[in-house]
Amino acid sequence: MALIEVRDLKKTYGIGSVDIPALRGVSFAIEPGEFVAIMGPSGSGKSTLMNILGCLDRPSGGKYLLDGADASRLSDPARAAVRNRKIGFVFQSFNLLPRASALKNTLLPMMYSFERKDVKLARQILSSIGLGDRLHHTPMQLSGGEQQRVAIARALVNDPPVIFGDEPTGNLDTATGVEIMSIFQRLNEQGKTIVIVTHEADIAAHARRVLRFRDGLLESDSQQ
Amino acid sequence: MGILDAIQTGLSELLSHKLRSALTMLGVIFGVAAVIAMVSIGEGAKQEALEQIRQMGIDIVRVRRAATAGELVAKAQERSPFGLKYSDTDGLREVCQFAKGVIPIREVFSDVNVREKPVSVKIVGTIPGYEQATRSVIETGRFLIDRDVRDHVFVCVLGAAAKRDVFGFNDPIGKTMRIGRNVFRVVGVMKRKEVGSGSAFSAMKDLNSHVYIPITVSITDFKIHSVEAVPATAIAAEKLFRRMMVRQSRGDSPLSEVIVQVESDNATIPAASVIRSVLNRRHRGIRDYEIIIPAELLRQSWQTQRIFNIVMAAIASISLLVGGIGIMNIMLATVTQRTREIGIRRCVGATRWDIIRQFMLEALVITCFGGLIGIGLGIGGAKAISTYADWRTVVSMQAIVVSFGVSAFVGVIFGLYPAVRAALVDPIEALRYA
Repeated sequence: MALIEVRDLKKTYGIGSVDIPALRGVSFAIEPGEFVAIMGPSGSGKSTLMNILGCLDRPSGGKYLLDGADASRLSDPARAAVRNRKIGFVFQSFNLLPRASALKNTLLPMMYSFERKDVKLARQILSSIGLGDRLHHTPMQLSGGEQQRVAIARALVNDPPVIFGDEPTGNLDTATGVEIMSIFQRLNEQGKTIVIVTHEADIAAHARRVLRFRDGLLESDSQQ
Repeated sequence: MGILDAIQTGLSELLSHKLRSALTMLGVIFGVAAVIAMVSIGEGAKQEALEQIRQMGIDIVRVRRAATAGELVAKAQERSPFGLKYSDTDGLREVCQFAKGVIPIREVFSDVNVREKPVSVKIVGTIPGYEQATRSVIETGRFLIDRDVRDHVFVCVLGAAAKRDVFGFNDPIGKTMRIGRNVFRVVGVMKRKEVGSGSAFSAMKDLNSHVYIPITVSITDFKIHSVEAVPATAIAAEKLFRRMMVRQSRGDSPLSEVIVQVESDNATIPAASVIRSVLNRRHRGIRDYEIIIPAELLRQSWQTQRIFNIVMAAIASISLLVGGIGIMNIMLATVTQRTREIGIRRCVGATRWDIIRQFMLEALVITCFGGLIGIGLGIGGAKAISTYADWRTVVSMQAIVVSFGVSAFVGVIFGLYPAVRAALVDPIEALRYA
């Protein structure tokens, strides 16, 4: 069974009386364990797709099945729970809490789940991606690469089946970007499903499958 | 998110903006402090009044001698030349059958010397029953008895201060003392009486320096009534001289005061109107007396006090309200400032309710903290007022609980709107927010 399945997915933004279609009927499926890059020029609808896949936004039409459940029809608290348990986010601009330490930032998703805070697990994850000696540093005291690693640790802490990356290397220099991508690659090898939005071919090259979008439609779907 | 985590998050957020948090709290601090101080002052005044009732009794009507002024003086001279006089007592006693006692009081002017030095005591002629009407208590010996009055016995009873001034620490019972030209035997000493400072009893003099003698003795052997002691005008001096020369009848002897004791404080007002009509007839329309109803004065002063308390509490509450608005203002600014943080939290799984709770808790922590500091400040303020203004203040548990409750309530109410605003932030927009 596919982990992510979208059928004829549509999204239309209404600005005043004009309807602007962002997604015009997209269908694809992602199996567990895949490493997918979503590419396309700006305005192609890839960010809109990402918001819908991440349960931050609802589609205007079509179906989105995440882990077998219809995520397009969930209530607001239910979508919050899905974001908490099934999805890990990594953003271009890191999006860490500025005054919280790396450890506290990592623990954040746990604060909103029903389980107890597992500080040991958070430390372990941070150590595994090379931040064992940076636990109590705030984002201000960390480099961009380190901040992005904290964000990855945060995405991993509730052990979700899928990690979404929205231009995760967009704010990093090339060398650091490669480091971050290698972390994603390692996670993928450990069995995580990874979906990354990017417009850089070098970054997309790390993925094993590339979905290209243009004008709100899926242009090509290629394995590599 | 567990409640403890949420409180911890709120606290760390407040601690990371210490100045802002402190300034926000200030409104609540002063509001709560003002409410507590005001309520404490009101409560203190109430206690004071109750104390006075206990000490003085309010089941009496006092008739005091009063001076006439202006063109009335000549008229008064003609119609009621002696003012309040001894025979008025009999007149009142005759009409006021309901009275428990009609007590004449005649303060006279005389010297008391201890080792050649004058002692400031007041010589008061009265009758048995006086001690009940004024709620005075005998410490040792006895008060005046009917036989003393009837037989003109030269005995006296000392107030606590008078006893100390004349006899020091010695037991005066059975000893004699000289008052003016006469020698009196001391038969009793009164217990010390605290005198309240309330307006209702300011008319009551310090009874502790009184020396009580039988009224009959004060009439026959002390010609000078204390009001006339220091004549202000030549005419008054001449009048006084003439009075000392002629032998006055007992009934015409001037009195300082008559106390009419009735069954209860409720009976004082009807009693006063009876007394007024009796005296009006006897004094042929001349108002050379005043009628004082302590119960009525007390009721009035309570009423004013109550209104005063309500107004003060209302003003204090307004400052609490202003404090609440200050909190709302800051919280709204905080929501805008922390839009991105809200987006991040929503993104990793916070529900709207989680966000509402977080902001509400922050507002609550501010107000409860402010409330606690305010309680401390309010109690301190009440103490300072008692010390410097010499007002009695009573900090009641009720005031503390209520004002703390109100400040928590203010936190909830004024934290609610910003919290809802925060929860309605769209996470996608929020993450894009710089």
